[in-house]
Formats: sequence, structure tokens, C-alpha cells
Amino acid sequence: MPETAAVSIRNLSKSFDGTEVLRDVSLEVQPGEVVSILGSSGSGKSTLLRCINWLEQPDRGDIRIDGDRIGVSDTGKPMSRRELAGMRARLGMVFQGFNLWPHLSVLRNVTEAPIHVQGLSKAEAEERAMALLEKVGMADKREQYPYTLSGGQKQRVAIARALAMQPKVMLFDEPTSALDPELVGEVLGVIKDLSKEGYTMVLVTHEMEFARAVSDQVVFLDKGIIIEKSHPSEFFENPKTDRVRRFLEIEAPTVPTV
Amino acid sequence: MDSGAWGLLIQGAWTTLWISGISIAIGVVMGLLIALLRVAKIPVLHQLLGVYISLARATPLVTLVLFIFLTAPTMGVNLNRNVAGIIALTLNTTAFNAEIWRSAFNNFSKEQREAALAIGMTPWVYFRRIMLPQITITSLPGLVNEMSFLIKGSPAIAVIGVVDLTRVTNRISAVTYDPLPPILAAAALYMLIISLLVWLQRVAERKASRLAV
Repeated sequence: MPETAAVSIRNLSKSFDGTEVLRDVSLEVQPGEVVSILGSSGSGKSTLLRCINWLEQPDRGDIRIDGDRIGVSDTGKPMSRRELAGMRARLGMVFQGFNLWPHLSVLRNVTEAPIHVQGLSKAEAEERAMALLEKVGMADKREQYPYTLSGGQKQRVAIARALAMQPKVMLFDEPTSALDPELVGEVLGVIKDLSKEGYTMVLVTHEMEFARAVSDQVVFLDKGIIIEKSHPSEFFENPKTDRVRRFLEIEAPTVPTV
Repeated sequence: MDSGAWGLLIQGAWTTLWISGISIAIGVVMGLLIALLRVAKIPVLHQLLGVYISLARATPLVTLVLFIFLTAPTMGVNLNRNVAGIIALTLNTTAFNAEIWRSAFNNFSKEQREAALAIGMTPWVYFRRIMLPQITITSLPGLVNEMSFLIKGSPAIAVIGVVDLTRVTNRISAVTYDPLPPILAAAALYMLIISLLVWLQRVAERKASRLAV
């Protein structure tokens, strides 16, 4: 039996106020695979990522997580809030703006969902949280509040928070775009470690060198259409289309000269 | 002023405190519920609540107190003065509180909501665990402000014969023929009550500043 894809997107279309932002997009992410979605701003890449966990609802097409359809129940009706929450719990999401909860300490940010969504005891949740905070290098800041942290530290906490739900797939929506240049490295380092540990990840990013280093598959979106889907070495060294070639000349002028 | 006069003043202050206290307690919770219903934008109910809020905010307290006290018997309900006073104060403060809560809802960060939904929280868990604790703190300055307005407006209930902290000064001076001392004493007691609230407000503002990310 073939392995079930971790994420399977079929014929996805989405419009905002009559403007089509995704057109008939299909994409499979295998377990353990790291897929980077690249494209200029406005190409629909963030919308595609946000459709995966139903923060945006597609107009057509379907999305399956581990073979189970998200957003639409077996009867064809929209999922109940509870069913949808259950599906979303299988996906971890990291946002461009971190989106930490400011009224909770670092530790509480990470334990909140395991306790109040998965029903873990406080002790279990804290044990899990501390291991993750250790992993992202934030264990010593556990009692601090988000407003005391730098952007890079916030994002590392946000990654630990998402991992605490033990998701099947991690979604990263431009995780370093809001960071000062000198803080980008610490966040990319954490994501890179996760890729080595075999996490399944879908990544929207503008960091070309990074995408090339961690990805198993690169997808290029242009005006809502996937125009290239290939292995990173192929993508960066032999782009098939002029559109990608022009994009790389601007975004990653140094990359092809490795 | 003799000890008897002070005793009356304290009684009046107590009346003001408990009647306002009950109205505030109900008004804060009812305001939250109405704000929730308004945010849900349920047709008809949304408009009805909007009309209630506009009317309650536009009606002077004295008018509202008289209206409640005088119309209740015509509808076959015999209202005790204190209850009529509480109903009027509650109707008034609820409307203002509903608007304070509603603006807190509307200004609440969409990003935090997305983070909560994305991690698998139902909207209810998100409301209880993420939104409510924060909007409570950020709304407190406004709510406390409204509480002090209500207490300062509460002498309106004297119009239907409730002997509150203001009304009682009349009674004292009717005996002593010296109106100034009881009025000054009452003013001092009002200031004491309000300054307690202002202190509470300052504590809340200090907490709220931590939420400014």
C-alpha cells in the first residue's frame, strides 16, 4: 500500500473579492518531507499555507491531512467547530508576527494548548514544554513574558508552542520576515534542526539559501499557479521557466554560483 | 454634628454602597453578555440591543429612576424603592459597560485568535483562556471609570425616596439647621469611595501596560 501523504492538496482555488489568488493548485507532501513554497509577494503562497489549516477557506478543491479531509465532514457539510479544531490540532503553525499570547509567560504559552485542548495534566504539559524550550534554547526564559523577548526569541517560543501539540505537520508562514537581520539565523537554525529530526514541514519563505539547504521539494507560485515544482538543486541551478530565472536573479543572485 | 448625625450619614453611605455595588456587579456581567450578543450580530436581537443601549445612554438617571418606579405598578408589578433604584442604575450602567466591552472585543488582536484556532482551540476555549483574561484587564480602566460615574450619579434614586448618602444630609440639616457640615462629610465619604476605585484602576492600568506587546 502506498504511504498516505502527510498533506494532500487537490485542485485548490481561492478568490478574494473576485480576484483569484489560487488557481487549481495541487501539491503532495510526504511524511518527513520539507517543502518550501516560493514566489513574489502576492503570488498566493501565504494563502495556500493558510488554506492547509483552514484559516482561509478555499472555494474549490480539497485538502487532506494524513488522508483525512479538513474543513468538510464526511457528510459533505462544513465541519463543526469541534471537528475543525481536532483537525487543526494535527498541524502546527508558526506565523510571521509570532502571535504569542502576551498575558501568558513563555512556559504558559507552550503549555496552554496541551492542557486545554489535549487535556494533559499541568505536570505532563510542563515536562513536555520544558523539553521543547530546551530544544529551542529558551528554557532559561520560561518565566518571562513575551514583551521582554526579542523577535528571534519570540519566534523560537512560538515554534515550541506549536511543537507542544506534537503535530503531524509544521507550517511556517514567513517565519523570519519580521525579524532584524541579525536575529534571522537563530530561528533558521531551529527550523533546520527540526528538518534533521524528520519533521514534516511546509515553509513559506524569502530565505533562498535556507530553502535550498533544507527543502526536499521546492514549489514556485506565480499569480496563484504552481509553475515549477522540483528538487532544490534543480530549481536553483536549472530553472525551467523564465519567470523563475528572473525571480532568482533578484532574490538569490548568489545562490547559483555554489 | 453629633454621633446620631454621623450614624445617619454612615447608614446613607451604606445604602449608596450596596445599591451601587449590586448594580455594578450585575451591570458588568450583563454588559459583557450584551456585548457578546452584539458581536455575534444576530438579526433583530442586534438591532433591539442597539436601541436599548442608545435609549439607556441618552436618558438622564433621574428620569430613568422615575420611569421605572412609576410604570412598574401600571404593569401590575409593585416595586420596592430599593429594587426600583437598582433596576434603574443597572439598566443605565449595563448600557455603558456593553459599549466598553464591545470596543474591547473589536480591538482585540486577530493574530492571537488565529494562533489559538491554528493550535486546535475551539472558539469557546479561545474566548475563555486567551481573549477574556486580556480584555478584562484592558477594559478595567473604562469599567472603573463607569463605576465611579454610577456612584456619583446614584443620588438620582433619592427622587423615589431612597435615603442615600446625599439625601441623608437633608434629613440631618432638617434637625440641626446647619446644612454645611453634613454635606461636607458626605462629600468626603464620596471621595473616599471613589478614591478606592481610582486606586483599583491604577493597579489595573499597571497590569494592562504589560499586555502592550
